[in-house]
Amino acid sequence: MERARRGDENAYEELVRAHQGIAFRTAYLLAGNAADAEEAAQDGFVKAYHALGRFRAGSPFRPWLLQIVANEARNRRRSSGRRAALALRAAAEESSGGAAPSPEGTLLAGEDRERLLAAVNGLREEERLVIACRFFLELSEEETAAALDVRLGTVKSRTSRALEHLREAYA
Amino acid sequence: MPELETALRQLGGEIEFPATPDLASSIRGRVERPRAWRRPALIALAIVVVAVGAALAVPPARTAILDWLGLRNVSVVHVDRLPSARPLGRLDLGTELTLDEAKSRAPWIRVPGEKPDHVYVSDAVPGGRVTLLWGTPSKVRLLLTETTGRAYIEKLVQGDTRVERVAVGQGGAWFQGQHVVMFQDRDGTFHEGRARLAASTLAWQLGGVTLRLEGDIPKDEAVRIARSAR
Repeated sequence: MERARRGDENAYEELVRAHQGIAFRTAYLLAGNAADAEEAAQDGFVKAYHALGRFRAGSPFRPWLLQIVANEARNRRRSSGRRAALALRAAAEESSGGAAPSPEGTLLAGEDRERLLAAVNGLREEERLVIACRFFLELSEEETAAALDVRLGTVKSRTSRALEHLREAYA
Repeated sequence: MPELETALRQLGGEIEFPATPDLASSIRGRVERPRAWRRPALIALAIVVVAVGAALAVPPARTAILDWLGLRNVSVVHVDRLPSARPLGRLDLGTELTLDEAKSRAPWIRVPGEKPDHVYVSDAVPGGRVTLLWGTPSKVRLLLTETTGRAYIEKLVQGDTRVERVAVGQGGAWFQGQHVVMFQDRDGTFHEGRARLAASTLAWQLGGVTLRLEGDIPKDEAVRIARSAR
């Protein structure tokens, strides 16, 4: 990080490699399609590079980066005029059906999985996004707040409300 | 109900995300330092420390090192590539005056034992700048640039430029190899367009005056000339 801040392009490339997965997925959630997500993540990384001078030394890089990338993704979605929310899909059945049970032995059965996914997709967008960030991307509350551009308190309250709605729908 | 949260995390592992593109490679051409050469010269400063052989830690602030060098008005900035700059010889040095006229205009100037062939005065930098030239304007042999403590000079050096401390006046440094020099303008900024390429240079401080002697001469001769300045 320090090397990247001093302008070492190779150090920054390492930093991009380490974070491109999470940045792209976050952008995908917000932009709604892979092409916009890729552009948003690219532009986000470039902007972050040029803003490294304003990055506070010692603070975590990931929330800061995700905020920039997420902003790019939101702008793309807004300017394209698309309103339809991204419907999340689970991978093909065999990924769980034929696989060995997880260590916890609590792998979701195919039917439960589809039902839970349908419940998530049925949430209001702001709740769906907070669930996706927290549980699908496993972002921290701070990172989720940065990505969704809301306060930490909003992430907490929105998460608990969304979980409540899921329980009702999924029960 | 932690079961729900566990179920959500499991589901997360099965969500279909498109494959992550190789962003690190695709942005490679787009991340280049925009103002790289304004970056503080930690490397160059480290070279200075090594050259002196002093067991000093590199002070964090640029000014700390410069005070130690005795060059309060000169900053040394390390760059990977020097920006394009006009070579020594085609310079906007200001108005040409006689040495006596220059002395009355800038009473603080110092003049070496060997009198210069041309003298120029410029108001382009804060406090004024006087340039003494040996040779002819089209074929410069030596150039001595003098500024007061109100002017600020930035020197951009590449990795292969040697910087070492020399004992002249209140402190001096010898820059071996080409580097780029910029003077701060009256508005307080450095302009790339006015940067120029310097040959080996001796920079030193004499009272409130910062002097820079440049030309294709060895260090010993530069020091001898510098010590003759009164």
